[in-house]
This record gives sequence, structure tokens and C-alpha cells, in this order.
Amino acid sequence: MSDTLVETPVPVEPARKRRNWAKIAGVAALLVVLVFFPVITGTEVAYLKAGQYVLIGVVGAVGLTLLVGQAGQLSLAHPFFLLVGAVSYAVLAGDAGESGDLVGLGLPPLVAMIGAVAICALVGLAFAPVSGRLRGIYLGVASLSLVFLGLYLGQSLDMLSGGTSSGRPPPTFEVFGFRFANTEPAPTIMGVAIQKQQRLWYLFLVIAIGSYLLARGAVRSRVGRAWRAVRDNEAAATAMGVRVWWSKAQAFTVSSAFAGMAGVLTALWLDLVKPDENEFIGTYSITVAIGYLAMVLIGGLGSIPGAVAGAVVVNGLPQLLTLGATEFGWFASAGAGGLSPVLVSAFVYGAAIVLVVLFEPGGLAAIGRRLTSRQGDRR
Amino acid sequence: MITRWGRAALVGASALLLAACGSTADTGSSGTSGAGGVKTDKGVTDSTITLGVMTDRTGVFKNLGDALTGGNELWVKDINAAGGICGRQLALEIVDHGYKADTAKTLYPQLEPKILGITQLVGSPVLAALKQNLVDDNVLTAPASWSSEVLNNPNVMMIGTTYDVEIIDGLSYFQQQGFIADGDTIGHIYIDGEYGGNGLRGSKYYAEKHNLTVQEAKITSTDNDLANIVTGLKGAGVKAIVLTTTPGQTASAMANNAALGLNVPVLGNNPTFDPALLSSPAAASLDRLYVAASSAPFSSKTPKAAEVAAEYKATYPGRPANAGVQAGYVESLVWQSVLQKACENGDLTRAGVQSALKSLTSVSTDDLVAPLDYSSPGAPPTRGVYIAKVDQAAEGGLTEVAPLFTAPDAADYKAPHQQP
Repeated sequence: MSDTLVETPVPVEPARKRRNWAKIAGVAALLVVLVFFPVITGTEVAYLKAGQYVLIGVVGAVGLTLLVGQAGQLSLAHPFFLLVGAVSYAVLAGDAGESGDLVGLGLPPLVAMIGAVAICALVGLAFAPVSGRLRGIYLGVASLSLVFLGLYLGQSLDMLSGGTSSGRPPPTFEVFGFRFANTEPAPTIMGVAIQKQQRLWYLFLVIAIGSYLLARGAVRSRVGRAWRAVRDNEAAATAMGVRVWWSKAQAFTVSSAFAGMAGVLTALWLDLVKPDENEFIGTYSITVAIGYLAMVLIGGLGSIPGAVAGAVVVNGLPQLLTLGATEFGWFASAGAGGLSPVLVSAFVYGAAIVLVVLFEPGGLAAIGRRLTSRQGDRR
Repeated sequence: MITRWGRAALVGASALLLAACGSTADTGSSGTSGAGGVKTDKGVTDSTITLGVMTDRTGVFKNLGDALTGGNELWVKDINAAGGICGRQLALEIVDHGYKADTAKTLYPQLEPKILGITQLVGSPVLAALKQNLVDDNVLTAPASWSSEVLNNPNVMMIGTTYDVEIIDGLSYFQQQGFIADGDTIGHIYIDGEYGGNGLRGSKYYAEKHNLTVQEAKITSTDNDLANIVTGLKGAGVKAIVLTTTPGQTASAMANNAALGLNVPVLGNNPTFDPALLSSPAAASLDRLYVAASSAPFSSKTPKAAEVAAEYKATYPGRPANAGVQAGYVESLVWQSVLQKACENGDLTRAGVQSALKSLTSVSTDDLVAPLDYSSPGAPPTRGVYIAKVDQAAEGGLTEVAPLFTAPDAADYKAPHQQP
């Protein structure tokens, strides 16, 4: 991704053009597969569910790679922003009359989704005085405190979060009267009924692609150049006229907004907003913070396609292994203490991180770049 | 990559998608007639009835999950040997979610089309995440989680009584034994969450009735050292402590109860005790612990409980032995009554199973739990418990000190979703 620093519009080499063709064909094929994924899975909705989970990971990981990779700020606060996003959505769109104890503003779900993202951005901005002053591991630890704050607030503000005992259901998402729920009759694509899960897949897909393009736009623009300048050398960045403090705050805000969106999607995916019972296991726990960091590392720090690949490995693998385990009887002997799908995938991404750090610090993104640019066209 | 070509690809893909669109015709599927003139839909063929098990065999509750599953499997073996139900053999479809809601959420759609209902579902986070699915698909579920907060889900078939009622019965027993008296102070240590919150509800109710003061101590499920909490309770002059905690936390509470010289009797919900504690350093201090549970302890003298325990040990020698075995067996026994009733009605569809359940007013389980009444939705189907005391010598670590009983206060108690 560092190639954008020196971008000269003049020479468009034929070699570069050829590479683009391959890329375009690849992207087009990928898009077709993604668009027809509900048809491919058909009645096997479980795989669609796993796919949706990967897309949630994509949105969150893209946001984190901007912060950690592009702007150079280590953050473990992602689960906190997921929680804020999920709760904000439930509160903004929730029906006040539904339950006496819960706060609900009854806004249209689309407005609530945008509002939840905006709230997360503002909370991220509020953390800027801290994120602007600290670096590296100090910032990592400081941001981790937000996860604990989230745990505490989620448990104590149960009129917002629904409390740890039952949580609260997020309102059904809806755009201009089109509900993301089961209906009868339902539209079909090639004979496959487009019901709630298929609709959610398309919603998640659109949001994931949108996030990808937005992030790429940021990286390629003046904003992204400022982030990288600050990351590489704050003094030099200042000399070039970058407002260091503002640039850092901006990165944290943007990243929080992405995490907030992932939080809204998590709520819709689980049909539930429920704060965790402890800080280690759960939907908004430290484990999730590590998971997102792993996605970003495996993919290659700062690389947006890399973050996508990382999300596939970290969020997709456990799900696929679990599904395969029941469908094909893998790990059949896994009684107490045996190998389980969850354990195997933890090993796989643990090993992936070690291998990446040792042999290819650029991550999957660097491997991908090397594979697609055999011509030596990289200048 | 959003060049013109990228855009063209996107437009092309959308066009393809539009071209493939249609609409489902409104097909009413109300079940088909199968063998014996019985109406069936999902999970039932002419030869087999399949029930689902969503358990934890690799996560934090794997000991409980393995025992529950063992109980389910024993029942299947027994019932198939006796000729099955409705001329059909029983089968289980077992999946392991490792106590993770996200894994369970993905596994559920894979499992759902194959089963009639669920005979074991471990974990309150899992149950919460699947609540809407169970309602949408009308899947009757026996959860291995005994909170009265989940009874607002019409598809939940509670087996036995709930945490709040366990505590009310248990405190009644304490008062009857003279451990506590009206006006005393008691302590309640509970995990924040569905489990702890529900247990606390019970002691608050009992305290109100008997003018007790409850010293509440909220912890999270990962807190391991309860020394300062027990010290605090000692300072408050508690006459008894109630625990709604994990087994590990029970050990810490008991050890401190002894070490600080407090030595008050301690009442725990069913999940607070695990036989594994007997080999922990806290073993010597456990003898003041009483457990209130609606299922019989593993070593119970109740004939059916003893029979199941013996059969389990013979069939699964290496597996953990705890009260989960009988709990799992009884989950399936209740299913048996429901299926038999549904078969009599000639309707083994999911809807048929639901209405069969509602018509059952006294499911007997050979005293493994009290008779269960499913005719009033929202209320626990029974309010009876066994009281057991920790006993190093007893198998499974608990020995029964009070047979199945229901305290008057428990009978009057109104559960959160109980309809008047």
C-alpha cells in the first residue's frame, strides 16, 4: 500500500494494463460468486450464516487495519465499539412501548443504523485526547480499558443494554418498507427463496463492499497520506504541514465508526443485544479484541484486501470447521479434552500469526501482491 | 478496482440476479400423513423420530454437557429397547457449540431441518441467541438452564424447577432446621447474568416474606478469589450464605467460610456444586454446603435415580458422573410423555407436539423430579426440590438430606412471566 506515496499519472505501461485485466476478471468472478452465494448455499442456510459472520469481520477488520496499519495506533478497544454500536442501534430503533424498563426511541432502523455509527465515531473522537498522547503498547493497554468499561456499563445500564440476564432483541432492519425478515410470499432467485437470512446476506454484502471502498478511498487520498506520514515520523509530518494531533484523532474516529457498524451487524446477526457476563468469553470480550488484531496481522498491517483475507481466516475458519465437523463427522472422537473445531482454528490462526511475523511481515496481502505481480511491474 | 470494468461487472452481476428472480408460490405445508395415520412434518419419518442435542463438550461446561448427553443417550437406548414411540425408533442428532453463542447460531440452521425438537440445549447465552429462531421454527426445546426469565418463550419446556424457586425452598429448609430466623441477615453471592439474577430473585422474595436482610455481593463468572467478599459478609453478621456461582467460586467461598471462622451454613443452587471439588484443596471445608435442586443427586436412593446411575456407570465408564446424568435422562423422559400424547392425538408435527405439551398437567418421571404441570405457560412446571448435603463418602459427592418437597412460600411465589 506504500506505493500510493509517489503516484505519478504519466506512464501507463502495457504490463500494468495486462495485470489490471487479470485483476478485473478476478474481481468480477468474486463478485458473481458473492452475489449468487445464497443460491449456491440454497437450503443450507448454516453456510450463509457463516458467510454473514465473515462479512461482519470484514467491516470491523477494515476499520482496524486503517487504525493499526495506516495510522500506526495499536488499539484493543474494538469490542467496546462493537458493543456501543449494537446497543445504540437497539436504543435508537427500539420501540419504547414494547417493554417498560427499556429505553427505545422508535426511529426508523436505517436512521438508527446511521445514528449508531455516528455515536461510535463521536465516542472514538472523545478518546482522542488519550489516543493522541500515547503510542504503541501504552496505547494498546489504555484502549483495553475501554473493554472493561464496556463490560461495566453494559451490566449497569440495563435500561439501555437489556442487562446481562436476557438482553434485548434488536428491531428488525428495514429500508423503505422492505423488511429483512421472513415474509410469505417471498421473492426467489433461481428457485431459492430470498428470506430473512438471504436478505441479511445482501445487506451485509453491500455494507462490507461499501466499507471496503470507503477505506480504500481514505487510504489513497490526502487523509491516508497524512496518516502514514504521522505513523512513519511525526516530526517530518509536522514539517510537511500535517496536523499530527488531528490526524491521529481522525484515524481513531474513523476506525470506531467502522467498528460501530460491525456492532450493528452483530446485533442483527445474533438477533440479540446482550452485554457479556465476563471480560474473557463473549461477543464483546478481550477474545474478540485479539481476534480482530489477528485478522489485521494475518492480512498484513494496513492492507485492506489483507484485512478481508484475515477476516475469512479468523471468523470463517472456526465456523466452517464446526459445520464440517457435524456434517462430515470430523473430530468425531472429540470427547473431553479432545481436538475440537474451535481449538483447531485457534491453532491455525495462532500459527498463521507466528508464520507471518517470521517470514512475511507483510502478511497475506504481501503474498497476494507477489503472486499477482510476477512481471516486476512494481516500478 | 472500481474502474469502469469493475462497475460493469457489478451491473452485469445485478442484471443476472434480476433475471433469475421470481416469487415463492404460497404453499401451505401443514404436514403429511405418515405411517399409522399420524401427521408429521420435520424430524419424523415412518421409522424414526429425531431429536436434537445442542451441548457443550469442549467449553467451560463440558463435564455437565457430557453427563447430560449421556443421560439422553441412555433414555434413547431404553426406549428403543422397549419398542420406541408411535411405532418409530428414537434417534439423537448431537452438536457441540462449546458454550459459544456465535457457533450455536451457525449450527442451528444446519440442525433445525433434521429434528422435531430439542431435548437438551446447554447455556443461557446460547438460549438467548436462539430464542427468536426457536419461536420462528416452532421448535420445542428443553433447556439445560433453569432461569424463570426464559419462560416467556412458549417453545421452552422447563424440566424441573427454576433457580429462584430452588433458593426459596432451600431457605425454607434452612429456617425449618433453625439455621436462620425471621429478622436475620443473610449474604447472597451471585454472578451477574441470567443465572445469578434469577437466584437473587428467590432470596429477595424470601427475605421480604420473612423480614430478612440480604447482603448482596455481585461478582463476574471469572472472579476466583472471594476472600474479601466473605470477609465483608462476616462483618455484616450473616447467619447463612446463599451462592449462585460457578463450582470454582463455591470452593473459594467455602474455604474462606471455614478459614475466617465464620462457619455458617451455605445454600447453593444446583450448578454450584461439581464432584470435582472433592479433590480440590477446599474439599475439607465443603461440609457446610447444602444444594437445592429439582433433580435427584447422583447418589440418590430414589429407585429410578439409582437405576439410571448404575446403568450410566456400566455404559460409559470413563465419563464424568454428576447429577447431569439424571437431569439429561429426565429431559428425555418428559419428551417421551409429550411424544406419546402427540401420538395419541395422531399429530407428530411441531405444532402437534406443542399442543400435546399444553395438555399435560402431571408428567410423572418416577420421582426424578416432581410431577410437572405444563398447562400454565410462564410458570415453572414444578416447585419441588431435593436438598442434598456435601458428603465425601457419597458417590457424586452429595447425599440427600431432605426428599422432594415444596415449601409453602415457594408455592405462593409468582414467577416473572407467570400469568395471573
